[in-house]
Amino acid sequence: MNNTIQLTLPSRLHQQVRTLVAEGWFRDENDLFFEALRRFLDVHRPELMEHFIREDVEWGLRGEE
Amino acid sequence: MEKSNAATVAICDTGPLIHLDELDSLDLLADFHVWVPDAVWQEVQRHRPTALQRPRVPVERQAVLGAMAPAILTLSRALSLDTGEIEALAIMARAPQALFLTDDAAARLAAQQLGYRVHGSIGILLRAIRRHQLTTAEVLARLRVIPQRSSLYIRPALLEDIITRVQQEYGVDPFC
Repeated sequence: MNNTIQLTLPSRLHQQVRTLVAEGWFRDENDLFFEALRRFLDVHRPELMEHFIREDVEWGLRGEE
Repeated sequence: MEKSNAATVAICDTGPLIHLDELDSLDLLADFHVWVPDAVWQEVQRHRPTALQRPRVPVERQAVLGAMAPAILTLSRALSLDTGEIEALAIMARAPQALFLTDDAAARLAAQQLGYRVHGSIGILLRAIRRHQLTTAEVLARLRVIPQRSSLYIRPALLEDIITRVQQEYGVDPFC
């Protein structure tokens, strides 16, 4: 089942989207947004991000360099 | 803070340059030699050019030299890294003692797999206290405005945890 969402974009960003589609990197804008969202969700796995940030806190507070 | 010849090289991904600049904190990189991969440079130039123009933080644009190591190519494909992140890893390969600065979880994962030292914007902000670049209160103030002033994504409860941790570490009044 597919869901439809509405998106408001700054024109500059939308122009970049149109350019990528026009140059043939994506089939259409839908395809690009799908890929962008998929990648975002893949990379921003909550437990991984939280683990890295907590590592950073320890280094920030007690690291050596 | 004076930069010595022995300063650590920090190879920067797009995120920390933009996020620290949004928080007026890019100067915290002044005690590093900051290297910016070509593709990252172009991305920052497009989205936040001021991050490349801080007089106290001279940044060196770096190109990738030679062929990319197979391990980098494999990890980059597996983790869908973008061009800037891939170039940063390639540059790390020729300066393995450098610090890689990224706020991207996938890039960080790849760099750790390759054995590199990696940190992000939060680490740089907190490091400023022990390096006497900022006071604890100044760092706490910058942490508190992250949701309003920065595009760095951080879960509100986690941000609160970090603020509490800093207050506990430095004995700051939690209501300050």
